[in-house]
Amino acid sequence: MTTTRGIMSDVEWRTLGGRLIVALFFLILLLFSLSFLFPFFFAFTAGLKTSSEIVKPGLRLFPEIAHWENYAEAWRRYNMVGMFLNTFIVAIGGVAGRLFVSAMAAYSISRLKPFGKNVIMSLILLTLTIPGIAYLIPLYIVITDLPILHVNLVNTYLGLWLPYAGSAFVILVLKNSFDQIPQDYYDAAAVDGASPIRMFFTFTLPLSAPILLVLGLLAFVGMWGDFLLPYLVLRNSELQTVSVRLFALVRDFPMNLQMAGAFIALLPPLVAVLFLQRYMRGGLTF
Amino acid sequence: MVTTQSTSTPLAKVVKVPRWTYLWDQVIAYLFLLPALLIFAVFSWYPIAQTVIYSFQTVSLAKPPVWIGLHNYVRMFGDPLFYIAWRNVFDFTVLSLIFGFLVPILLSLMINEMRRLGQIFQVITYLPTLVPIAVALLVWRLIYAPEGGVLNSLLKLGGLPPQLWLQDPHIVKLAMIVIMTWLGAGGSVLIYLSALKEINPQIYEAAEIDGFTFWQRVLYITFPLLQSRMLIMLILQVIFVGQVFTEPFILTSGGPANSTMTPVLNIYRTAFERSDFGLASTWSVSLMVVLLSFSILYVWLSRKREANGDV
Repeated sequence: MTTTRGIMSDVEWRTLGGRLIVALFFLILLLFSLSFLFPFFFAFTAGLKTSSEIVKPGLRLFPEIAHWENYAEAWRRYNMVGMFLNTFIVAIGGVAGRLFVSAMAAYSISRLKPFGKNVIMSLILLTLTIPGIAYLIPLYIVITDLPILHVNLVNTYLGLWLPYAGSAFVILVLKNSFDQIPQDYYDAAAVDGASPIRMFFTFTLPLSAPILLVLGLLAFVGMWGDFLLPYLVLRNSELQTVSVRLFALVRDFPMNLQMAGAFIALLPPLVAVLFLQRYMRGGLTF
Repeated sequence: MVTTQSTSTPLAKVVKVPRWTYLWDQVIAYLFLLPALLIFAVFSWYPIAQTVIYSFQTVSLAKPPVWIGLHNYVRMFGDPLFYIAWRNVFDFTVLSLIFGFLVPILLSLMINEMRRLGQIFQVITYLPTLVPIAVALLVWRLIYAPEGGVLNSLLKLGGLPPQLWLQDPHIVKLAMIVIMTWLGAGGSVLIYLSALKEINPQIYEAAEIDGFTFWQRVLYITFPLLQSRMLIMLILQVIFVGQVFTEPFILTSGGPANSTMTPVLNIYRTAFERSDFGLASTWSVSLMVVLLSFSILYVWLSRKREANGDV
């Protein structure tokens, strides 16, 4: 049961004590918000300064002269367009792969109920308990030399898309979601002669569109900011994503351009928040 | 002959059909599973098994692996860095208990009281979680800069001495925990907020009528009801801190004086800088054992919570 009231009731809200508490909370939250937002503010203003101005002692919140051209230069010199494009390709391919693979697997486990599905489900859940970092080495070796096919996936986007496609979490969430679609829908469609494949595309997917969207957005944002795997797999500077590139060029760029570049790089996920916001209304339950 | 079935049977049994159709449905089921099975087999199950195997071998990219039994394990347990790294994880965990754990709880309590206005604060706390970590760390590195850093300038205004945030072994962990809290608080706040909203307001009303003050209600009603979820979040926190890599890698490279060396950072070093994949796998096995234990604890606690019907 979700409500719009907190621990205080409406009556208490109007008393002096209640108001004091709310005012106190508001103040604390305001302070926290300011500090939470500070790094963004800092990156933005640092991008407007000259490099020497940034390291000059003394608290200077604002630049002396706003060097707006720094942003243009950072955009050009970092080849932001290229970087954003790369990151976008990595993320979109990763999301598509993950949603597709997981939806099919969840459909199979939820509806088609293959023989041995409990074993398979447990094996999938096992990967939830062991984080990817723990088996990073063989994972990397596999990427350099795919078993049976003997393909080297380093410096390819597939080398990221394929590992990204496997997400036990997404399969779990989708399975729960699919379980809640009433069996009657399927029975009705079966009477009309639809095959399981047809049913998947015609109504399982459309009915699950909201959850697919949320999972897709979350995955997109996560993959956009991912560092380690792209750092290891994409060695060619022309293919690298934003995070990797910004880090690799740390010594080659003056401080103010770095901050300008960083601020620009921070923006796309923030835009994504505007979309996610609607789904965050009631909070998420896990 | 049409027979209608209950909701728990496979799709195939809506009609009475010959055996081979049932087999065909199994084939379809496995076809749908196939991409996931392939991906998991190649990128998860096989690497997990290989990690354990490699830990007993000398592995390099050029030559085939050589079995050396427990030699790697002897080296790992004999390496002082092993104990330093895990001690650091312990320190990080303790520090994160205060910041990464308590802060989101307090924040969500406050946000929950703010009613409509809380929405804005919730979004603000969530913003850092979406940011590319490596980029954010580059910004933070500058904020923490010893000379012209903003933080130190603020301290100077307040008359306090400047700190060597990332260079002083005594406070570097704290500095990192602050960043990690900044990065992760939003997600926890989201989870706690949903838990808070699930608490039946009638309990609060009854308590208020009985004369409980606001703070008493928080102490005697909210926290006990949140307890099971807090415990689970705590375990998750430990699992998360155990894997910390990006922050020490980008900010301090494990220094100063190995005070931020973590197991994962060392795995990366051993494997990709010293090309000793065997030893790196041994470290990975130790990581797996620890994290797996906590993960099992997490799953067990989750099941218990669901069974009890807690918030």
